[in-house]
Amino acid sequence: MPNPLIDDRFVDFLLYEVLHAERLCELDHFSEHSRETFDMAMATSRGFARDVLYPAYKPMDEAAAHLDNGCVRVHPLMHEIFPRMVELGIVNGTRPESVGGLQLPMTIATLTGGYLMAGNLSAFGYLGLTAGAARLIESFGSDELKRTYMDRMYAGEWTGTMALTEPQAGSSLTDVKTSATPTMDGHYLIKGSKVFISGGDQDLTDNIVHLTLGRIDGAPAGIKGVSLFAIPKNRLENSKLVPNDCSTVGVFHKIGWRGLPSIALNFGEEGDCHGWLVGEPHRGIRHMFQMMNEARLMVGMNGAATASVAYHEAVDYAQNRPQGRGFTDRDPSTPQIPIIKHADVRRMLLRQKAIVEGAIALLAAAGMYFDISEHAPSEEERHRAWLLLELLTPIAKSFPAEKGFEANALAVQVHGGYGYTSEYMPESWLRDQKLNSIHEGTTGMQSMDLLGRKVVQEGGAALRALAEEITETSRRAREAGVPEELGSKLEGGMTAIGAVTMHLGELGMNGDIDGMMLHSVDYLEMFMAVVVGWQWLQMATAAKKGLEKHPEKADFYEGKLCAAQYWINTEIPRVGALAALCRSGEDSYARMQPDWF
Amino acid sequence: MKILVPLKRVADPDNANKVKPTADKVDTSGLEWKINPFDEYALESALRLTEDGKAPKKRLGEVIVVTVGPKETETTLRSALATGADRAIRVDAEDDALDGRMVAKALQSIVEAEKPDIVLMGKQAVDGDTNQVGQILAERLDYPMATFAATIQEEDGGVLVSREVDGGVCWLRLKNPCVVTVDLRIVAPESVYSLKTDKSFKHNDGVRFAALPAIMKAKKKPLDVKTLGDVAAGTELTAKYSKFEPPPQRAAGVKVADVAELVQKLATEAKVI
Ligand SMILES: Cc1cc2nc3c(=O)[nH]c(=O)nc-3n(C[C@H](O)[C@H](O)[C@H](O)COP(=O)(O)OP(=O)(O)OC[C@H]3O[C@@H](n4cnc5c(N)ncnc54)[C@H](O)[C@@H]3O)c2cc1C
Repeated sequence: MPNPLIDDRFVDFLLYEVLHAERLCELDHFSEHSRETFDMAMATSRGFARDVLYPAYKPMDEAAAHLDNGCVRVHPLMHEIFPRMVELGIVNGTRPESVGGLQLPMTIATLTGGYLMAGNLSAFGYLGLTAGAARLIESFGSDELKRTYMDRMYAGEWTGTMALTEPQAGSSLTDVKTSATPTMDGHYLIKGSKVFISGGDQDLTDNIVHLTLGRIDGAPAGIKGVSLFAIPKNRLENSKLVPNDCSTVGVFHKIGWRGLPSIALNFGEEGDCHGWLVGEPHRGIRHMFQMMNEARLMVGMNGAATASVAYHEAVDYAQNRPQGRGFTDRDPSTPQIPIIKHADVRRMLLRQKAIVEGAIALLAAAGMYFDISEHAPSEEERHRAWLLLELLTPIAKSFPAEKGFEANALAVQVHGGYGYTSEYMPESWLRDQKLNSIHEGTTGMQSMDLLGRKVVQEGGAALRALAEEITETSRRAREAGVPEELGSKLEGGMTAIGAVTMHLGELGMNGDIDGMMLHSVDYLEMFMAVVVGWQWLQMATAAKKGLEKHPEKADFYEGKLCAAQYWINTEIPRVGALAALCRSGEDSYARMQPDWF
Repeated sequence: MKILVPLKRVADPDNANKVKPTADKVDTSGLEWKINPFDEYALESALRLTEDGKAPKKRLGEVIVVTVGPKETETTLRSALATGADRAIRVDAEDDALDGRMVAKALQSIVEAEKPDIVLMGKQAVDGDTNQVGQILAERLDYPMATFAATIQEEDGGVLVSREVDGGVCWLRLKNPCVVTVDLRIVAPESVYSLKTDKSFKHNDGVRFAALPAIMKAKKKPLDVKTLGDVAAGTELTAKYSKFEPPPQRAAGVKVADVAELVQKLATEAKVI
């Protein structure tokens, strides 16, 4: 069987049996949509991902983009793919009609995007970045910037980048140094060096717009002095494009995402790089933060998709690779059995399934909270959805990245020695996956966002909303006949989170921030187990109902029930231990001095 | 150029087929449906024949898609509208009320009313694999016909069709109006050329995908509904299904010691040599 990238039946189950996505069409903003338009969008993305993107993945991984005379040359296949991808209209699919978009719900776009990412992460990257950059101009840019840049970016004529990172400013964007000197003509003269800028140069389109963080001369130090700029590679002068003094210093050799160049980029080597302020001066970081949820959910889906394609490869391999015999059947004259018949191989596959589908479910749910937070009629409903989205975002970003990496490693493991060779695909996805815990805020940064901001904001309102959701899910699960213990274990996990959060919050209130944050990654880990358990309980509930209605589809539903059982029984018991660790003040690495290593 | 493309939705061949306990029907409950792949190829060819192969493409003609089936099949038609067809017609009918002859009769009425230059259709539907409707339709219309087309070139007032046959390629020159049924190769990059498409132009391999904006626009394209009575009055079903049974389970294989034993078993047990 060709690799499905993501299981269609699972996606339909999520949308229509778990989330009831068709209800979104009752909201004014989505009233032009129906299940039919959702399904068609999904069909397009599935077909394109499988027939066009996926076949190009391996060649693009094997021959990375390279620098040629100061210009980046991307893989020739990308030249065929890019215009077709643009033609599909996905760059601004979720954006309002007023900017030429189709008002597709984020819930749907998250999943359509998932297929494209699973097919070819790098190819999708060009569009993902362009969409993100254009979105910033849409929200904060002047009309002139919108007409000059946003329109062309949404039309796929020009691409966009997020040019934030500098050598001394990675996780700590407070420290960006790129400078912006005002001129009488309204633009700024930009000078600075950026690193790791994905899509920072390419030969696909005749222009690239860098959304860049920099400091206006004389700006206050720190985060409150960082502004956002649009800096085109070529600027329009008398409706002609002229070079804007952006130079590619080098292309990073990297272990994954090899179809999408990440470059070191200098602005203003010749003192002639023009940039235009986007939004208000000194509010650049704040503007970026407003787009953060979307960007992080996208990275989350990068992770889930990368784990998904590897999982499907592993299942197929396990069904076809004969090796060994059962414990009770040692007769060498009998044929060897396919490895999927070994319980331990099924352990590895079920763990992958639980991670992959748990992650996709979480991302789709986050997409739905996003849609509700933006478009529900009542302020109360919008606010509650926003709180949950805020809370879930660091998890929806980190879980697919961290556990997805584990799932990708398991896919290699299932392939045995063959998995360790580049004759087979899983090693390449393992390499791709690693980036997702690094970019868009490392896992460490996400854990601090979760514990330091999200769970404590508005007096813990988000955490309370999550607890309510979990109680409700557990009630419904019971009603549907899901084994009682699954719900009660999950509720126990949530209670443990509540208690440990109280404890850590108190430490913080009493000024012991270091003590509060010491185990933030363990805290994140515990949170991930429960939040994904919650997704699995919802899926188990829907599966129980599905099983009653469609006994002929037992294979599908039983698989969901098994995965739910696996996750809750294997992961939730760890919550108590992690909670104890977070509370314990265990201070080995706190005490450990740099010189002791 | 006006092209009519009949479409059928079929049960996804990946479904496990089940037979109803009464055995006179295949159980269609819970099946996933999709458009018959050969019909998708026909639609793709029709779109290629009605555009100029430039970027952005210009439409040069009209493609009408038709299906005979229940209300749900409108989804199939709207997907076709989203990929580029201009309008759609559904003839309302339950699947059980149809056979190849009935469908051909319904299509005949529609062709007579619409007067397309070409009826472009899949060579067969992958559910029943009967491979009849195109041929019956051409016969009833008394149109020239080419089946299993691998390439189509538009010519003045007609088309030049190539078909892959044992031992070579068979070329047929047809005058419009005509019926052409297509095979898989028709969606290769260099297989279909309209008069306005430069011969150096290469289409994307395979069928096209509906762009998101086109999906939204498809909702506003015309979709007419007719009844079977409107278009096939007085036609009776000729095919009747009396029994379906699943193929016999495959028995386990045996290992033979050597070629001699194999030959002996083939001769005496399998009785194939
Ligand atoms: C392939 C690739 C593509 C990229 N694409 C882009 C792009 O398009 N645009 C862009 O702007 N950037 C991009 N980046 C940069 C990426 O966002 C940064 O690498 C990331 O933000 C981390 O910064 P850093 O590399 O400087 O690591 P550092 O910030 O130096 O982090 C190193 C380690 O220290 C930890 N750490 C840092 N600060 C703290 C702290 N305060 N508390 C606890 N731990 C801490 C981190 O968690 C990490 O483990 C890309 C990077 C790569 C590798």
